[in-house]
Amino acid sequence: MLRITGGKVFDPANNFNGVVKDVCIRDGKIVPDVEGGRTIDATGMIVFPGGVDVHTHVAGAALNFARAMIPEDHRRHEQFVRTMVTRGGIGGSTPTTFITGYLYAGLGYTTVNEAAMPVLSARHTHEELRDTPIVDKSTCVLMANNEILLDQFEAGEMERAQHMTAWHIWAAKAYGVKAVNPGGVTAWKWGKDAKTLHEPIPGYSKVTPAKIITGLAQIVDDLGLPHPLHLHCNNLGAPGNYTTTLETMRLLEGNRAHIAHMQYHAYGGDDWFTMRSESAKIAEYFNAHKNLTTDAGAVLFGNTVTITADGPWQHLLYKLTGRKWGNIDVENETGCGVVPYTYKEKNLVNAVQWAVGLELLLLIDDPWRIFLTTDHPNGAAFWRYPEIIQLLMDATFRREQLKKLPDKALKRILLPELNREYTLGEIAIITSAGPARALGLAHKGQLGVGADADVAIYNESKDIVRMFSYPRYVIKGGEVVIEEGEIRKVVEGKGLLVSPTYDKAIEEFMRPRFQQYYTMAFDNYPVEIERVENADIRPCAGK
Amino acid sequence: MTCTLGEVKNRADLVIYWGGNPAECHPRHFTKYALMPKGRFIPNGRKDRTMILVDIRETPSAKAADIFLQVRPAKDFEVVTTLRSLIKGFPVDEKLVAETGLSMEQLQDFADRMKKAKFGVIFFGMGLSMTRGKHMNSAALLTLAAELNAFTKFVAMPMRGHGNVTGGDVIMRWTTGYPFGVSLSRGYPRFNPGEFSSVDLLIRGDCDAALIAGADPGATMPQPAIDHLARIPTIVLDPKVTHTSEISRVHITTAVTGVSAPGTAYRMDEIPLPLKPALKSPYPTDEEVLRRIYQAVAAKPYLPAPMIPQLAAV
Repeated sequence: MLRITGGKVFDPANNFNGVVKDVCIRDGKIVPDVEGGRTIDATGMIVFPGGVDVHTHVAGAALNFARAMIPEDHRRHEQFVRTMVTRGGIGGSTPTTFITGYLYAGLGYTTVNEAAMPVLSARHTHEELRDTPIVDKSTCVLMANNEILLDQFEAGEMERAQHMTAWHIWAAKAYGVKAVNPGGVTAWKWGKDAKTLHEPIPGYSKVTPAKIITGLAQIVDDLGLPHPLHLHCNNLGAPGNYTTTLETMRLLEGNRAHIAHMQYHAYGGDDWFTMRSESAKIAEYFNAHKNLTTDAGAVLFGNTVTITADGPWQHLLYKLTGRKWGNIDVENETGCGVVPYTYKEKNLVNAVQWAVGLELLLLIDDPWRIFLTTDHPNGAAFWRYPEIIQLLMDATFRREQLKKLPDKALKRILLPELNREYTLGEIAIITSAGPARALGLAHKGQLGVGADADVAIYNESKDIVRMFSYPRYVIKGGEVVIEEGEIRKVVEGKGLLVSPTYDKAIEEFMRPRFQQYYTMAFDNYPVEIERVENADIRPCAGK
Repeated sequence: MTCTLGEVKNRADLVIYWGGNPAECHPRHFTKYALMPKGRFIPNGRKDRTMILVDIRETPSAKAADIFLQVRPAKDFEVVTTLRSLIKGFPVDEKLVAETGLSMEQLQDFADRMKKAKFGVIFFGMGLSMTRGKHMNSAALLTLAAELNAFTKFVAMPMRGHGNVTGGDVIMRWTTGYPFGVSLSRGYPRFNPGEFSSVDLLIRGDCDAALIAGADPGATMPQPAIDHLARIPTIVLDPKVTHTSEISRVHITTAVTGVSAPGTAYRMDEIPLPLKPALKSPYPTDEEVLRRIYQAVAAKPYLPAPMIPQLAAV
């Protein structure tokens, strides 16, 4: 039992915006009142619901591949010595799994969504998530380049495609559906890409990226999944790609969708020399279309590593930069590309990218629909989120940073004209309440009665980065896990899943095709439920 | 630049084995993944593929090859470098080529076939990574594969060792950040092959106890390393009494993983496969033995409480 008293509570989902009130906890949930137990005096402190990261890459084959590629990054960053309570490990751009859990909790985050999980290696992802302590986890399974599924799209068999998608979600023990560069990753299997939305992709005559996007969005809506289709649009990173993004959003009218890391999809210009921000056009459309949510995918200057299923983009990045390049194509399903990268202030393209992420956060007027992410680790490591919070809350500081950019960059971006400053309440929305709602997790991101007792308590301070980097207390499921800057207790998180309905006949339809195209036995493919730690099956609204 | 084995099955029309002998060391490789199977885009199976074998001697694998290139020992790096030049149309030193044991015609043909392939794959083994140049040979070959992607689709991957060495690598990476050669003696992971790899630790005599699970260093390591294992308290966990068991202090017989013990094995392309035991064993699993050792250590009165609570649970 726990009572938090005297703190200024920011609980936007329940309309509390800095009200001094008690928060009471019993048996891992928020309750109206509590007698006895511990009292935390939060006078002078800010009380937030625990953070929810809607898009991050923290576990699985692609991430582990990246870990292998950057030993120099591991050495460069803080080493974590084991204590009586915590395991040893390394931090940096691709923290080891135990450290990932500690670092997220260390920011006050209590739920993370692993944004890209292939079915074939889902067992691996779940093993790593088991070793990621404290936070609750959800996963999005990669479907937009699944060739057995695309064959159904080609044949116009959309009902069968729905059963097949549902089957794959349960086989992978996933929470949502991810689409990355629809058609493009399929084309990359032959060394190509899919840069236009309406041209058939290699190997197909009817399947286009547009058909995959609308088909999957409809399937996800028909299955009633709590989280809409999570989409990484075609043409990521390319100058002029804002037109693809606008066209994609138009295709999604009538469906729900979550557009991932919008920053990478909001560029104008014709080439690297004329690249510019088109965040205004993106924001204008987005503001007017309430069926969409997005996350920023903001970049910060410094060293990091890019990891994405967008294979062709990573090949291009390798050719542009000459840096190390890793790529794994996954049979029938997807792939991944890894390139260590450094964002530099004096680089014109990076300067535009840095501005675009912030512009989108400032131009999109509804904080309930745009969330704070860096597409970790692509834009920057997640433990640098407090730096973005500072850039959003302090326009003076932001203007100081603009002075570091090359003069040419200032003509390509809108940021110098934007004066908006985020309030604490809005920060609570973009880091917690909003992502929880977009993920369909009603019991997260809020401090109302019945919600999970995931709470972050910060010392109120003018030093925004320090404030958000070192919460005074972090409570997960009612347990005080962090206190006075130390991890006092390590708890296990839950694995959030859905179990959408499907016709069992789809298994016998898939079996011969699977045996023909894959290299493992069909019966070994689905992940056993026992492998998901503390599995928590959330409801679907489906037919 | 790599892929899972199903991509090879479905797409590869040019399959190259370099410094490996799959016919004897990976006996199912040809039939299950790389040569015989019909693939989604390889409708005629073996007939749609060309296999090139590069090695210093003719092994049984050569019988399966369409082209066998016998390279002179310790000259693989020169061959790879020459190929990297040829694919780009750069001039090549004919004297250097002569040293490799292959002719200009063979090398030019090799380069042309690689560029004309729809999907090429190079499987490389210890014949490449352990000869003169060591990991530089692997780096050169991986660079060749990466550069070929300017022309066509090309991948390369190592032929991994036996047992679940890939699984060990995968787990080491997610828990420590490094694949092998890791020291945890300071409470955090440090990586330094040559300093912390097992052969080096043993030869220098840096460790004063050893626990060996599922490996037989007493059969494979250099004599000074084996001598040290015999000197210090060595514990062996293995289904069989091995060469290492014979010099160890304690041997514990454990159930055979995959036959009597469950778990997960990671295939050479890092795909996790569930192991479903078919038989019962009178012997405990490795996992059980390690838990019990851990509990016994945790119960020692002069040590602090166990670090990992679930391992101490009965």
